[in-house]
Amino acid sequence: MESSLVMTGSWRLRAPGKLAILLLFLMMGGCSSFHPIYTPTGDVLTAYSEDEATPYVMQMSDSALACSMGEGLDPLVYSFSRVTDAPDKTGSLLMLLAANCAEAKAWEADLAYLRADYRGDVPAAKDAREKAKRLNALTAKRRYVVYQQAMRAYEYDPTDDGAKCPFLYNEQDEITFLLGLLTGMQAIVNDANSGAQAGVPRDIAPQAERAAQCLDNEKWGGLPNAIRAMVWLLIPDTRPDLSPDPWEVFRNSSELGVRKGIRASMALEAVAAETFGREDVLKDVIARFAQSEETFKVWKDYRLVDESARNVIQFSSDKYWTAHYGYRTPHSRFGSLSDKTEVDSSEVMNLDDLL
Amino acid sequence: MFRKTTAALLVSLTAPMALAAQPIKMCVFDVIGANGDMYNMIKDYALNMKQYGVNFELKPYTDEGVAIGDFNSGQCDAVAATDLRTRPFNRFTGTISAVGAIPTYSDLKTVLATLAQPKAAKLMQEGGYEVLGIVPAGAGYLFVNDRSIDTAGELAGKRMATLEYQKDAIHMVNTVKATVVPSDITNFAGKFNNGSVDTAYAPAFAYQALELYKGVGDKGGIVDYPLAQLTVQIVAKQGVLDEKTAQKSREVAWGMYGQAMDLIKTNEDNIPDSKWIRIPEADVQGYQEMFRENRLQLRDGSNGASKVYDPRMLGLLSKVRCASNPGASECTAANRE
Repeated sequence: MESSLVMTGSWRLRAPGKLAILLLFLMMGGCSSFHPIYTPTGDVLTAYSEDEATPYVMQMSDSALACSMGEGLDPLVYSFSRVTDAPDKTGSLLMLLAANCAEAKAWEADLAYLRADYRGDVPAAKDAREKAKRLNALTAKRRYVVYQQAMRAYEYDPTDDGAKCPFLYNEQDEITFLLGLLTGMQAIVNDANSGAQAGVPRDIAPQAERAAQCLDNEKWGGLPNAIRAMVWLLIPDTRPDLSPDPWEVFRNSSELGVRKGIRASMALEAVAAETFGREDVLKDVIARFAQSEETFKVWKDYRLVDESARNVIQFSSDKYWTAHYGYRTPHSRFGSLSDKTEVDSSEVMNLDDLL
Repeated sequence: MFRKTTAALLVSLTAPMALAAQPIKMCVFDVIGANGDMYNMIKDYALNMKQYGVNFELKPYTDEGVAIGDFNSGQCDAVAATDLRTRPFNRFTGTISAVGAIPTYSDLKTVLATLAQPKAAKLMQEGGYEVLGIVPAGAGYLFVNDRSIDTAGELAGKRMATLEYQKDAIHMVNTVKATVVPSDITNFAGKFNNGSVDTAYAPAFAYQALELYKGVGDKGGIVDYPLAQLTVQIVAKQGVLDEKTAQKSREVAWGMYGQAMDLIKTNEDNIPDSKWIRIPEADVQGYQEMFRENRLQLRDGSNGASKVYDPRMLGLLSKVRCASNPGASECTAANRE
């Protein structure tokens, strides 16, 4: 009896605490799966990712390490969307890194295809090409997710023609949104290279063209305009009257990129040159990239973006070398698409009097 | 009967193919063996040569003398070593490393481009040997254990690690009245690092690879003036490659100039800026004249020097220098090289 009295007393004592939890549940409204431990953990993790992990990773120079982190952590971090608000900002960046992993494998398969093609080994070429298509499909799927998450993170509805620019609170928000747009464009390219296996909607392009205008072109090394130029080339209808030639825009953006220390525009210019068969532009942009190395000062806060751009340029060069000569670009030849040694172009002395 | 004929036919068909695939043995010198920069460069060269049907079989040597010895005794058909050691096989190309004769890498580039031309093929053959390629190995610099040794005058009485088989260096050391401490590639770094010599000369790669920074310490430094341009030369017995393939080989080696220079640049950049001892421009001119007089002596065998240098190469190098620096006094000197 006594014990039951005590118990009753204890219930009375604990009642306000339970009430508080109940209230918290009610306050969580939309989030039906609130958990007293997991939910705050998710919130802490999300906040930590945005405040510390993202700036740290953005400064990294080892893109392979960053991509592994993306593949390893994305499912864990994004799983917190089950117990709290979806961490779309961090999620989009982690998935972006994971997509880079898939793309790196697709690149290798693509080079294997070109090597086999060069030596006339048809079955090996077909096999490698199929592998490259599958990996491009995987890359496209991941990148489409990135695009959707980045748009959702800033409550931007890209399908709305008259959508207002999103509220981007700080520089990190700006780059997350901008990379989302860029990645959306890349998703289209990857999907095309997969034989449309991923089913990425192509109307991302005009959407990205509109959204890119929300960002400061100068500040972001010409990338917003480079995205627009890419869309103008893909869908000429989107190009405004009196706008400059897209290739001019690319060139200007690439120069800005070098000045700002973030050469993402150059990577996009190279991709455009390949997409539209402009070998002259490809040759030029690879040479400009290699040349910029001598005096280039990277924007340290976004070194990883510049490194990713370098990988794209390197792959463009490797593809050309492999297709034409059967092997990838030798280190000391980066910047040139010719396998001819300098023997023809260097200054030489007349030997007649020695012979 | 039919079987026998077929078999004989097959043998006769496969025999020349087997002969063509016969590897050419090459002894390759690298201070740190098969994982060294030089060996790796030769590996790239050998791979490039495969597309011309040449199959090299490389063997690493950490002792240059042994590599040359094995080449001489016929254990290898070709050798890749520094020109200091390949000089006896071709005095013309062995004179590229003449003291102070190539003051800049841009001059070196002109020299090597000139020698890679088909026209230069004749000069690549000498006494039953043929030079199959020349790749830069970096300029030799003077390493000192005391920064106050920054003029030739201050070298007097200093002990200098000198390669005992390098007659031109010995003559040069005698000229500046320093003391020759006979050494070889495997022990000069140790002598410099433990203080048994005051100075040594080596390409920049030795700063880290052979830990010359230990000998440089806090007080020493590296004199920022190229004493000589060291090259790696691939030499084979004449006829190992036919004329056309030998020329291709020289072009392949020349094609690796950029790669070699990247490596050299990295090595030179690894030396902290504070360790370089810059020489005033006025002093440089004096040294150039001193080097020139030395070269003339080593060409003519005068003033106690042996005849080491090939006059034709000295002439070519002088032409290259005067093309890039026409105002230099040597270009109008009566006794021009």
